[in-house]
Parts: sequence; C-alpha cells; structure tokens
Amino acid sequence: MISLVLILPIIFCLILFFFKNNTLNNILITLYALLHSSVGIAYFLKPELLGECNYFGLGSSNIVFYLVLSIVFLAVSVYNCGYSKNLAKEFPAKKMMLYSIMILIFVFSMTGGILSNNLGLAWIFIEGTTLASAYLIYFNKTKHSIEAAWKYVFICSIGIALAFVGIILLTIATGDINTLNYNDLMNNAKSFSHFWLNVSFVFILFGLGTKMGLAPVHFWLPDAHSEAPSPISALLSATLLNCAFLVILNVYKVMLCANCVIFARTMLLIMGFLSLFVTAVFLYHTTNYKRMLAYSSIENMGILAIATALGGIAYFALIIHLIGHSLIKASFFLTSGNVLELFETKRIKSIRSLGLIDKKTAWLWIASFLGICAFPPSMLFLSEFLIVKAFLIQKHFILCALFLFLLTVVLFGMARVVIKMVYGKKSEEKFELAKKNITKISKTMYIPQVAMLTLAFILGVYIPKFLDVIIKNTLIG
Amino acid sequence: MVNGFIILFGLTMLYLSTTSRLKAHVDALVAQGILLFLICAAGFHHMPWFIILFLTIETLLVKAILIPLFLNKVLKKTHLKRDTDANIAHFYCLFISSAILFGGFMVSVLDIPSLSMINPMCFGIALATIIISLWLITIKQKILSNVIEFITMENGIFLLSLSVAKEMPMLVNIGVLLDVFIAIYILGLFVSQINKELGDMEVAHLSDLKDSENND
Repeated sequence: MISLVLILPIIFCLILFFFKNNTLNNILITLYALLHSSVGIAYFLKPELLGECNYFGLGSSNIVFYLVLSIVFLAVSVYNCGYSKNLAKEFPAKKMMLYSIMILIFVFSMTGGILSNNLGLAWIFIEGTTLASAYLIYFNKTKHSIEAAWKYVFICSIGIALAFVGIILLTIATGDINTLNYNDLMNNAKSFSHFWLNVSFVFILFGLGTKMGLAPVHFWLPDAHSEAPSPISALLSATLLNCAFLVILNVYKVMLCANCVIFARTMLLIMGFLSLFVTAVFLYHTTNYKRMLAYSSIENMGILAIATALGGIAYFALIIHLIGHSLIKASFFLTSGNVLELFETKRIKSIRSLGLIDKKTAWLWIASFLGICAFPPSMLFLSEFLIVKAFLIQKHFILCALFLFLLTVVLFGMARVVIKMVYGKKSEEKFELAKKNITKISKTMYIPQVAMLTLAFILGVYIPKFLDVIIKNTLIG
Repeated sequence: MVNGFIILFGLTMLYLSTTSRLKAHVDALVAQGILLFLICAAGFHHMPWFIILFLTIETLLVKAILIPLFLNKVLKKTHLKRDTDANIAHFYCLFISSAILFGGFMVSVLDIPSLSMINPMCFGIALATIIISLWLITIKQKILSNVIEFITMENGIFLLSLSVAKEMPMLVNIGVLLDVFIAIYILGLFVSQINKELGDMEVAHLSDLKDSENND
C-alpha cells in the first residue's frame, strides 16, 4: 500500500493531463485523499497490508505526521470541490488541469518526505515540494503572486541548499559509517564526531528551518501564504511546515542518541523565541488577514521548536501542538478562502459585519481563532499548558514569563482583527458585494472546517488510548 | 594538479565579485563548470567508476554547457548588459571576497584531527565559495545576478561534497543534480515571467508585498 500511495498520484497526473476535465480533477484528488487516509487507517487495523519498502516506511516516528497530512489533505480536497468550481469560471480547463496536477505532485512530495527513512531521500522530496508548490503560489499570475513565488523559490532553494551542506557535513561526522538511513544513524550515533554533528545541525536547522518558517529565515512565508489560493495556503501551513519539521526532528534524535544535544537545544530555543517575537511585532502591523494567519504559523512553528528544545513533558506537548495547529490552521485558512470569495479583498479594513453576511463563515472564523489562540478546550490549550509546565519544572522562570507575554501579545493582535472583521460597523458598498457573492460558497466550503475544528476541540479534552500511545512513541521511535 | 584546479576555481569567485558585466558572469560559470569537470576527472579515484562517470558527465554537460546556454539566451532576450547598482563598490567587493577566500585557504592548511576525513584544500575553497556567493546575493540588484550567484553557490556545494574523502551515497549525487534542475526551473520559468510582468529585472521591483501596505 505504501508503494501505491506513491505511485498512484503519478498515474492520476497522467490521466488528468490527457482529459482536462474539472469534475475529473476533483474526483481524482478526492480519490487520492481517500486512499491516502486508508493507508493511515491500515496502519492501525492491518499493518501487514502496508508492505515492505526499502527506502519508505510507516512507523511510530512518522505516523502522526502522516495522519495529519491525510486528514488535512482530505479536508482540503473536499473544500476544493466547491472552491475549484469558482476558479473554473475564471480560468481555462488547461490551467485547472495544471492546478490539480500540481496539488497531486505537491502532496506526493510531502508524502514521500514523511515516509522516507533516509535523510538524503527526505531532502530530495522536500526540494520536490518547492517545485510543485511554487506553481500553485504563482497560480493567479498577478504581479504580487509572481513576487511571492519568486521569493519562495529563491529563499527556500538557498535554505535547502544549506541543508544539503548540513547533510554533507553529517556524512563527515559519521566517519566510516556510510549511510543516511535514520535508524542506522541513530544506532551508530555514539561513535559520531560531536564537532561535525553540531556544525551539520546548524546548517540543517537553518536550511530546513527556512522551509519550516522559523525566524530569522521566515521571509518567504507571509508572502507565499497570502498570495496562494486558500486551499493551497492551508496545505502549505498545515502540512508542508510539518514535513520540514519532521526532518529536523529526526536529525535532532540523532543528536540525542549521540549525547550531543546542548548546542542543538540552545539553537532551537533561540529560533523558537525569535519566531514568537517576530510574530508579536509584525502581526500587530499587518493589514492583510491572510498574512496575519501566516504570521500565526511562524509563531506556532516557534512553539514547536521551543517544545523540542525543552524535552521531557514538552515532547508530548509538541505532538499535541503539531496536530492541533495543523487542524485548526487548515480550518482557519480555508475559512479565509470563504471570506475572500465574499469580499474579494484581503484587506482587514474592508471586511466588517461578517456575522451579518454569512453566519456560518463568521462562526468558523471565530472558532478557528479561539482554537489557534489556545482557548480551552482547544488542543493548543493542552499543549501550551504542558510547555509552561515544562518551563516551570526546569526552572526557566524568565523564559516562561517571556513565552506567556509573547503569546498574550499575539492573542491580542489577532483578537483585535477577528472581532473587528466579524462585528465591526458595516460599509454599505462591501456589504452589498458580499451579499451578492454568498452564492459562491457551497456546502463543501463549510463541512471540512467544521470537521477539523470538532476534532481539534474533542482531542483537547479526550485523547483516545491508541492516539496517546502513538503520540508517546513518536519521539521514542 | 588537482589543487591547482581547485585554486583556479576559487579565483573565479574573485573575478565574479569584481565584474559587473553579466556576460562575464556567465563566462565565469563556464570556467567553473570546466574546472569542476577536471577536478572530478583527475582527482577522485577513491570513488567507484560509475559515480565518477556520472559526476563528470553531469558537470560538463549541465554546469559548463546547458546552464550557461540558458543564461546567454535569457541575456539576449532581456537585453541585459551590466549589474551596475551593487550596494558595494568593486574595490571593496574584491577586498571582502579575497578575505573570505584567504579564510578558506587558512582552513585548508589547518592540521586538526577532525579534518582527517576531508580533502582540506577542497573543503576550504568550497566553504569560501559558498560564503562569497551568499554574500554576493545580498549585494547584487539584478535578479539574473542573484540566479548566477545561486548557481555558483551550488558549484561550491558540489565541491564540498567532493571534499569528503569517502564514498558519498549516490543519493547525494542525485541531490546535486536536483539542485541544478531547480536552477533551470528558476531561470526558465520565473526569470522570463518576471521580465514579462515587470518589464525589467531589478530585485527592488519585487518588494510590493509588505505588512504596512494594503495588498488586495
């Protein structure tokens, strides 16, 4: 089945290329999303169905990342059924075909990156995600989308090239052991040169940190997330960043096995706090609600880096946060797609009285905001609570205070925007336009967000035993 | 002899940092491609023959012929001649690049046990090339110059991978090739699209997306 999940998108791409039909585009994307999810389910019910593969595998270390990708992709594919109908009115069939093909290649690359058990192979797939998603960011072909895509490709390519330098340095660290397989690296980590391990981690962290959106190498992220079509923004934020993070996490595990983790922890803490700081400062000035969501992604990636650095109880928080952020942020970005369809603008100032125009979108907007800002019972409340506890257990009181302060500033910045957008005084001109556009929002553009938010809030109060086990195993495996 | 080629490779970076003519930049890329080919062919017999064959053909074909051809085509199409608006004068560029290259040489003469796994000259010059390229990206104003510095950085990384005195996994070589594809992708798709959309190739014109302005 693992081979199938990697081969099928290529076959689907060929079919789409020859038929150029919008309905077929949606059917094949949804079909692939269903197959993708079924592999995740098979892992729990019938693991023998997954089969053996030399370079790819589904195990305790990557199953959470895979499941998150499956759920978000399924939600995006359902949303895309309604969204692409609106796009198809503006763009020719050929362009819609390319859009669908690139989505399949993008998800294929992310899947390959998550499933690969070899650092070199994971790096190749991460590079593949850049190639596929660049087209999707550039999809609208406006001056701004070209700018965003250019920055994305150029900055991420430099980042990925630096990560490659890190991989070369890691091969120096490994000495006589000639492998990039994660398990082999972890098993032999004790014999590695600590000096070269530390140097290679710096390059890998900065390189893949660029892709993950960690400050100070995050510059592409707000532009790319805001210019891409909303389903793509959801995929970029909720799944692509996780893929890059998984590779960093695997290299970090090698550092852990080599007992050479103090330097790596310091680096992660610095980049994590810097990401929170950047979000707190820039979120306050942004005038574009999609950029606001992009900055929130930088913040949450920073929280993941901090949780990794803290260790102990924060490891559990890390996986909870990763799942919660992906579900809620995907929902937030998809809902932003509804807002954009209604008001035809990304300017915060132009959007008021959302609650009077489309109650369902307004509620989704508020629920996503409450979820991302860690209001209980959101999963993020649990994770952030545990991270604070980890700070206190390790007696990092000043860092804990700084963490809480920066989170509060971010919460205030987002609350200000969300409340104004939903309850602010209406402008007649925009009000009429949005009322007219409400027909563009089909049912499939609400259901995925409701499902993901429900899941994120339920998991905030009750984590089933099987999920608890895989969360705990993710960092041990 | 290999060390001679490596030093010549390092010197091409000095040439790149002192010239503003874009055609000269492309010529320097051709020189780098040929030098990398010679370094691969002459000095790396510790690798299996098929890897050496793959590397030599790849460097000669892609780095010395295909990419420069692409770049020349773009130069003709866009009528670009010079990148005269660099943030730093040529003299200082030369000075800073020389200092970085000197640092690279210093790394190569260090006698540290942790450097036993690598070819020191190759490692030092590769590191200097990567740093000079990254620095040049930050000071050049034309998009095409940025692409050229990106490719020189890739060449530096390629040299770095050659510096490891053990058999590198084939995946790493595929990785290098994939990087080259990225360069061609950037060149082929974006550079011409940006030129079509914006009418010129200035980095400064790609700065509309800001937080303080209203971007619809």
